[in-house]
Amino acid sequence: MNLLPFLLSVGRTLSRNRIRAILMMAGVTIGIASLTILASIGESTRRETMKRFKNMLGTFDTVIIRPGAGKNRGMVTLANVDPTLRFEDASAMAQMPDVRQVAQIQDALDIDVKYRDRVETPAIFGVSSNWPELRGDEVVDGAFFSEDDNRSLARVAVLGAESRTRLFPGENPIGKTIRIGDVPFVVRGVMAARGAGPAGGSLDNLIFTPVTTASKRLFNRDFLTMMIVQLKDPNDSDAAVRRIEALLRERHHINGSALDDFNVTNPRAVMAQVTSLGSTLQKLLRVVAILATAIGGVVIMSVTLIAVSERKREIGVRRAVGASRLAVLLQFLLEAVLLAFAGGFAGAGIGIGGTQIVANWQHLPFLIQERAVALSLLLSIVIGLVFGIYPAWKAANTNPVDALRG
Amino acid sequence: MIRVQNLSKTYSRGGEPVVALREVSCEIASGEFVVIRGASGSGKSTLLNILGCLDTPTSGAYLLDGTDVASKSDSELSRIRSQKIGFVFQSFNLLPRTTARENVELPMIYAGGAPSRARATAALERVGLGHRVHHFATELSGGEQQRVAIARALINNPAVLLADEPTGNLDESAGATVMSLLQELNNEGHTIVLVTHDPAVAARAQRTLAIRDGVLSETEVAK
Ligand SMILES: Nc1ncnc2c1ncn2[C@@H]1O[C@H](COP(=O)(O)OP(=O)(O)OP(=O)(O)O)[C@@H](O)[C@H]1O
Ligand SMILES: [Mg+2]
Repeated sequence: MNLLPFLLSVGRTLSRNRIRAILMMAGVTIGIASLTILASIGESTRRETMKRFKNMLGTFDTVIIRPGAGKNRGMVTLANVDPTLRFEDASAMAQMPDVRQVAQIQDALDIDVKYRDRVETPAIFGVSSNWPELRGDEVVDGAFFSEDDNRSLARVAVLGAESRTRLFPGENPIGKTIRIGDVPFVVRGVMAARGAGPAGGSLDNLIFTPVTTASKRLFNRDFLTMMIVQLKDPNDSDAAVRRIEALLRERHHINGSALDDFNVTNPRAVMAQVTSLGSTLQKLLRVVAILATAIGGVVIMSVTLIAVSERKREIGVRRAVGASRLAVLLQFLLEAVLLAFAGGFAGAGIGIGGTQIVANWQHLPFLIQERAVALSLLLSIVIGLVFGIYPAWKAANTNPVDALRG
Repeated sequence: MIRVQNLSKTYSRGGEPVVALREVSCEIASGEFVVIRGASGSGKSTLLNILGCLDTPTSGAYLLDGTDVASKSDSELSRIRSQKIGFVFQSFNLLPRTTARENVELPMIYAGGAPSRARATAALERVGLGHRVHHFATELSGGEQQRVAIARALINNPAVLLADEPTGNLDESAGATVMSLLQELNNEGHTIVLVTHDPAVAARAQRTLAIRDGVLSETEVAK
C-alpha cells in the first residue's frame, strides 16, 4: 500500500467531518495549550525571580547577616531590631581570610525627607562607602560618598533613582540641600535605577548616607541592621558561612547549644530554594495539564469507538474493495493520531498566543520554550497512538460480512 | 476460473448451528454471466461473499484461477479482492461525504499504486457519469449511485464482478440501465456472477443456478 494517497484519504475523511473533528481535538488542544503556557511562563517567572533577587542583592557572592535569631519576618528596621550587630563585628569580619569586604548598613523606613515644600518618606540607608562596589550599583550623577565622608560624619546624601524624581522633578539635585528628619544633607550623587525587587516593589525609593552619619546624627543608635559580606570564594560559601557564624558566636559570647542572636542568609541557598519552590508548583500544574491532555485522548478514544460502530458499513466497503485488516487499523489509528496532532498543533499555537497575553499581563518577558513546544507536539502524537490503537483494533476486527449486511 | 467443491458454511446462532451452505460444488468459466436465484435466506449472499474472498468457508475447497483460497492469510485475501474481485451491492454502499471520483479511486489506494484521477474519471465516463465526477453520494440518484459502484468495482480491472441484487433497490428503468451496463461489460469479456430475485433480470443470464436451503443446483441453460 502506498502511504501518501492513503494519508491524503485519511485527512480527507477528517476534513469532511470537520465539526466532529474539532470537538474531538478540543481536549488535546486545551491540554497542550496549557502545557505550552505553563512551560514558557514558568521559565520566564524563574528568570524574572532571579533577576529581581539580583536587583535586590546586587551579586550572588555575598552573605547577608541580620540581627535576631531568624525569627524576624519582613523588613528589619530600627524600630524592631535587636541591638546585637556591632560596628566592631563588621571590622572583625573584614579581617577574616574568607572575606573580601563587609558593608555596614543601618536603615529606617519612616523618616520624612523634605526638599522645599516636597515631603517624601523614602527608605534611609546608612551604608559604608564600599556599598556601590560591593553591590555593583552605578552612580549616574555626581559621586558616591567616600570613606573620608564616612569617618568625618559628613552630611552628604546619594539619591535612589525614584527618590530623585520624587524630590527633584525636572531639577538637578546635585549640591542641593535636603532635610532628612530635621538634619540638613547635601545631595552628592544619584544612583542608577535597580528595577523591581522579588515582591515587585521598587528598589529605588531610597536615600543613602554614610553609615556613621546615620548612626550618630540621624538614628542615634550604635548597632547595625544588616551587614553584607562579600566572600573571596563564593563557591565555598557554605564553609565560609560556618566560619562567620563561629566568629560571631564567639564575639557575642554564645556558648554550646544557645541560639544565635543573628542570622545569616546565603543568597545562593535562598535562590535555589525559591526556584525549586517555583518548580514544585510548576510540576503540579504540569501534571494537571498532562491530565487534561490525557482526557483529550480519552475523548478521542470514545468518539472514535462510536465512530467505529457508526462507520461499520464503511469498514465493510473498504474491506470489500481490497483493504486488509492492517489497512483498516491504520486508517483509524492515523485518524486518531492526525486529530491529536492537529489538536496539539492548535494547542501550541494558542499556547504561544496565551503566553504572550499572560506575559503582558504579569509584566514578564515573553519567551517560548521551544523544547517544551516540541515535546508537547510529540506528546499529542503519543496520545493519538495510545488512545487510537484500541478503536483501530476494533475496527480492524469488524467482520466485513456482518458490516455489509442489511 | 472459479471452482468450488463441497463448500459448506455453518453459522452458529445462539449456540445452534445454522447451515447456510451445504456441500456446494460448481464451476464458473471466464467470461460467463451467471445468475444465482433463490428464496430469502437460502444462502445466496453467503456464497457470493465466499466467492469474493470476504468470507471463508467452514469446509470445502475454493480455487480461484487455480489457487486454493482457503489457506490464504488476511493480507493475501485482501490483495486477491483488490486485484481479482469487484463487488456491487444492493444498497450501493458508496462512502458518505466522498465524491463519486474519490469512491472510484478507493480500490486503487488499496491496490498499492497511486490513485489515478484520469482513470477514475474515465471509469465514470464508461458508466455514463462523466458529468457527476464531483458529486457526493447524497447528490446522486439510486441508479447513478449504483453505476458509480460499478465503476468502482471495475477500476482495478478484476477478473470477476460479483453483484448481490444490484437492482433490488432501483426502480424499473434505473434497474434496466444497470442491467444493460452489466450486459455490456459481460460482452466486453468480464465474468459476472449476479444474485437476484427478479425473473426479468434472471432472463438475461446465459446460465442460472438455483439455491435452496444452502443447496445449489444447475437449473437451465438459456439461449
Ligand atoms: N452471521 C450470521 N450468523 C448467523 N446466521 C447467519 C449469519 N449470516 C447468515 N446467516 C444465516 O444464513 C442463512 C443464509 O443467509 P444469506 O444472507 O446468505 O441469505 P440470502 O440468500 O442472501 O438471503 P436474502 O435474499 O434475504 O439476502 C440465513 O438463514 C441467515 O439467517
Ligand atoms: Mg442476500
